[in-house]
Amino acid sequence: MSEGYYGRPIVKPPAWTDLIPTYFFAGGLAGTAATLAFAERTARNDRLARTMILGAAAGCAVSAFCLIADLKKPERFVNMLRVVKPTSPMSVGVYIFSAFSGSVFIAAGSEVTGIARPAGRFFEAIAGLIGPVMSVYTAVLVGDTVMPAWYLPRKTLPGLFAATSAASAGAWGLLFASARDSGSARRLALVGGTAMVAILQALHHEIGPAQAQAYSQGEAGALARSARLLNIGGIVCAALGKNSNAISKIAGALLLAGGLTERFAVYRAGCASAKDPMYVLESQKASSASSRV
Amino acid sequence: MSDFIDLTSAAAESATYGADERDRMGFFTDTTLCIGCKACEVACKEWNRLPSDGYEFTGESYDNTKELSGNTWRHVAFVEQMEPERETGRWLMESDVCKHCTHAGCLDVCPTGAIIRTEFGTVVIQDDICNGCGYCVVACPFGVIGEKQEDHTMGKCTLCYDRLKVGEQPACAKACPTESIQYGVVDELRERAEKRLEKVQQKFEGAQLYLNDPNDGIGGGGSLFLLLDKPQVYGLPPNPIVPTKDLPQRWRTAGIAAAALFGAVVLCAVSRR
Repeated sequence: MSEGYYGRPIVKPPAWTDLIPTYFFAGGLAGTAATLAFAERTARNDRLARTMILGAAAGCAVSAFCLIADLKKPERFVNMLRVVKPTSPMSVGVYIFSAFSGSVFIAAGSEVTGIARPAGRFFEAIAGLIGPVMSVYTAVLVGDTVMPAWYLPRKTLPGLFAATSAASAGAWGLLFASARDSGSARRLALVGGTAMVAILQALHHEIGPAQAQAYSQGEAGALARSARLLNIGGIVCAALGKNSNAISKIAGALLLAGGLTERFAVYRAGCASAKDPMYVLESQKASSASSRV
Repeated sequence: MSDFIDLTSAAAESATYGADERDRMGFFTDTTLCIGCKACEVACKEWNRLPSDGYEFTGESYDNTKELSGNTWRHVAFVEQMEPERETGRWLMESDVCKHCTHAGCLDVCPTGAIIRTEFGTVVIQDDICNGCGYCVVACPFGVIGEKQEDHTMGKCTLCYDRLKVGEQPACAKACPTESIQYGVVDELRERAEKRLEKVQQKFEGAQLYLNDPNDGIGGGGSLFLLLDKPQVYGLPPNPIVPTKDLPQRWRTAGIAAAALFGAVVLCAVSRR
């Protein structure tokens, strides 16, 4: 009853399921993992490159499942390919994901079977170059909605998605490569994890205290606090575990869990900012002052 | 116009209809005339064969419809503005509908091309194309679109596209007994709305037109409204903006983030112990 029309939402919250934040996690991990695979291959660290390209393939497989299963009419998935629409980040994203996952699957298939190595390496490079775009475009996808918690952090949300992807990809390397081989993954996990915690602070600052409540209260807030604990724990373990396989694996597991939890926190914040009309009204009060001609 | 991205695919623009292009048609909903009979809701359900969303007694005045949804394309809002002792006051009623925006977020983001701009300048979801991705739901500044539970595509007002095709007016406008819902050429409706506002303003201080300004955040609506209070009182956003308005800027920022991510990965790989 507090705001607007019987307190009812002004905009509709997503009709999506939890497969969507799961996709943001898996797709983000896959993108940056492919880039690290490419970089490691170039630096002649084949063991970590192998771990990372297989991680990218796993991320792509999970992503493809999530994307199709979340459609209300999954059998019509191919309708995504009947048009190319630059105005739709989802349309652009379908082509990014198709090119990326296709390259990753060829590269990973070649890595595992040993068939067509040059082609495998070529597509590994392609995937590595597309990877960062794959990791970040989902921030544009959710930013291009009317959910205030996603629409308003124009500057910080892409950075948050990039940092979360870096932490998750680094964590994959820590978890599945030996401590001796995973130096680059460890550095990436440390950089990504630290950046994630820092950019979240900047995000709260960018959207202001009223809007930041979507991120700090309710289920989103509880998830964000859990994610923070997991990520800080993971960063500490990653920093201390240089010579220990066990501690490195714990670091990897903590940061993977932290990354996934952070994705859900961001997703729930967007939903919360739609369900309470206060967020829409507050944001439009601010914008009517500044953007009206 | 230049504020808006003009990357819009050809199918999204009525201008591409050539000789088949018609005048832009729309609604002018004059809420001062609405008596809350819900004939528009019923006529819409009947003509478009939309199933019930179920019945729940809300206690929110006479509104048990609650909101627009995939299967509810007209929704009459009831606002009771009573003095504390409830002896005097006023009762506002407004029949809400899809705004058929000039810059439509749903149309911009639809990845399948299921949502089109028709030759009448209206925005329609083709339910044989829609794969239920749900992006339009979160791109609508008015919360108009929802899932049609029975066939799992997304649904909203078509401005009775089938009736328009044969020269009929939309079912809701036809059924409205007080001409609170008026159907016509948008440019003419805008003029009519301005004139009506002048008259109503003399009696009601808070009277205002909603979505009649082509320079607003959605480029003006194909559905215009005359309201007696602020839009948010009726559950409408006071300053709606199409989310795609700053899409190029978002891609630029994401490009910078992606480049930084690529740089970070390369640095991590080359800085060996």
